[in-house]
Amino acid sequence: MRIEILNIDVDSNNVMVIGPPLVGKSIFVRNIVWEKVSNGFGGVYVTTKDTAEAVLDWFQRFNLSDIKIIDCVSKTIFSDAPDTEDIKRVSIMDLTGISVRINMFLERFWKSGKRDVIIAFDSISTVLMYLNPQTVFRFLHVLTNRIKSFGAFAFYTVDEDMHDERTIAMLKQLFNGVIELKDEGNRRIFRYLSPSIRTEWRGFSIVNDRLEVSS
Amino acid sequence: MKIGIPVLDELLKEIPRGKTLTYYIDPEVEGDVFGMQTLYRNLEEGYRCVYVTSTMSPTSLRNRFKEFGWYVDEFENFSVVDAYSAYVGATSDERYVVKDPTNLDELDEVIRKAIDENDLVVFGSLSTVIDICGEETLNYFERWKEQAEDSVIVSNFTAWPYSEDVLSKVKELSNAVVRIGGIHHRVILGHYYGILKVDWTQVKGRAVLFKVVKPGGVKAYIPKILVTGPYNAGKSTFVHAISNKAISVDRLGTTVALDHGKVEYKGFTIDVFGTPGQERFDPILKVLGSEALGVILVVDSTKPETFPRAKQLLEKTTHFGLPYVIAANKQDLPNALKPEEIRKLMHIPEDVPIIPTVATKKIGVYEVLDALIKLLIGEGYAKSEGAT
Ligand SMILES: Nc1nc2c(ncn2[C@@H]2O[C@H](COP(=O)(O)OP(=O)(O)O)[C@@H](O)[C@H]2O)c(=O)[nH]1
Ligand SMILES: [Mg+2]
Repeated sequence: MRIEILNIDVDSNNVMVIGPPLVGKSIFVRNIVWEKVSNGFGGVYVTTKDTAEAVLDWFQRFNLSDIKIIDCVSKTIFSDAPDTEDIKRVSIMDLTGISVRINMFLERFWKSGKRDVIIAFDSISTVLMYLNPQTVFRFLHVLTNRIKSFGAFAFYTVDEDMHDERTIAMLKQLFNGVIELKDEGNRRIFRYLSPSIRTEWRGFSIVNDRLEVSS
Repeated sequence: MKIGIPVLDELLKEIPRGKTLTYYIDPEVEGDVFGMQTLYRNLEEGYRCVYVTSTMSPTSLRNRFKEFGWYVDEFENFSVVDAYSAYVGATSDERYVVKDPTNLDELDEVIRKAIDENDLVVFGSLSTVIDICGEETLNYFERWKEQAEDSVIVSNFTAWPYSEDVLSKVKELSNAVVRIGGIHHRVILGHYYGILKVDWTQVKGRAVLFKVVKPGGVKAYIPKILVTGPYNAGKSTFVHAISNKAISVDRLGTTVALDHGKVEYKGFTIDVFGTPGQERFDPILKVLGSEALGVILVVDSTKPETFPRAKQLLEKTTHFGLPYVIAANKQDLPNALKPEEIRKLMHIPEDVPIIPTVATKKIGVYEVLDALIKLLIGEGYAKSEGAT
């Protein structure tokens, strides 16, 4: 199964988007999701850094409202904002709750006949701040298998400076594809790696929260 | 103490004091409601009940109970062990507070007190306690169990891919284990529970499909399987062949309305519906399909001219992405096409089972059912078969 992202033939259902802090991983992933959902994909955004309202606000600025959100922030900061049809809130400690809700959205897409689904998980690094790598690994093992068997595509952001080598190695086992982002001082670049694909580095910039890729 | 879950109430009667019951939950299934429902049922009975929360704040917990229509705060006999707030840096004014939820000795002290002062202790997520405090938790659990001579411990446990040691220890330490699983077919199409183990009564394995209703909680239901196919393919005969009890609303020999049968199969009770073959009934197919869990397509193997109609029926009923299997019926007749020939003519994908049958002689009919259930439940049920 393949999905075209920024003219790259991405050949993995589970892709880690890794780079240093502030390089633009979240914006990068949001733009990918925005592009696909605007073209008919079902979209789920799991957020551990911004509340559902902040994420929805971002998408709505670019005329997109039809996005499902799993908000792992509100409950952690003791907001009692309620759930809605498309927004579900769980504490970041509640991996079962996150897993159940992702599956619930997938089931809804499936039953409405939607087979093209894109998921963003932003970010794995936050989960790793609360729970040990073993626990997170077990959770991701179950999740990545489900995404694959559904045929969906998921992008997981990871802060590369926050984790030790063992943790990064463990994550690499779970994700067949990797998008690496780098900040070269005067420009930012990215490339895609998988067992069978290795693209050239390409430049990108972020203008007004939108991604622009140089050719 | 009560269980408060449909069917389990009948099968297990009650949880005797001194026993532990564990809800052993597939990681993708909404299972925390089981422990909550058991607790609420016992609050209503007037027992002193305490809920140990490790994954959400006491406020979120109360709201979660409310989603099901369970107003726990109206009960004086309700209290919370807060093993969450301190973890995320908040204060707490619950009756029981764990000052450092990562420290097993502190947790131990609070849990022991809670066991002494209550009839029922429910762990909201035993797996999260293990995730936070390590596998050592299970040694403590063993001692809590010993201490709870006069009370009951019920746990929700999410069965993540832990080591086999951890998983078997959890089961060993429980007097009863109820497995809560998902019916997988690309997505989770349904949920079921079944008794894996119980040491205070004899039960025959039995699995129950359920939905989580808000308000209401866990409700059991009977799954439907649809039998479809062209006119005269043998649908009615097939439904009767697999059913323990079947009725047909027949006129002039072939189906006008519905065939309906009940099948007892490996502990499940399944409702089997035969659909009418005539085109004028097509509109009801989608309705039936939307409630079913799977489809059996019956074709007359001697009549390739009916295959286009068969494909059309398949499309109408599997519209929602349901799994299906094909019964290549009337294999006893000369000129019957072999399953692989039918696969070619109908362009059926390789992974869809096509099984030769003679419905009139009940040949192959259970294999068809088997193949469908395997598609639906796969590994999941195979693992829970220890119950029979
Ligand atoms: N020889 C043979 N006849 C069958 C078989 N299954 C059904 N029939 C006959 O085919 C006819 C139509 O069967 P029925 O079940 O009413 O078909 P329906 O219209 O699909 O419900 C009846 O006369 C059955 O006895 C089979 O496996 N072999
Ligand atoms: Mg009939």
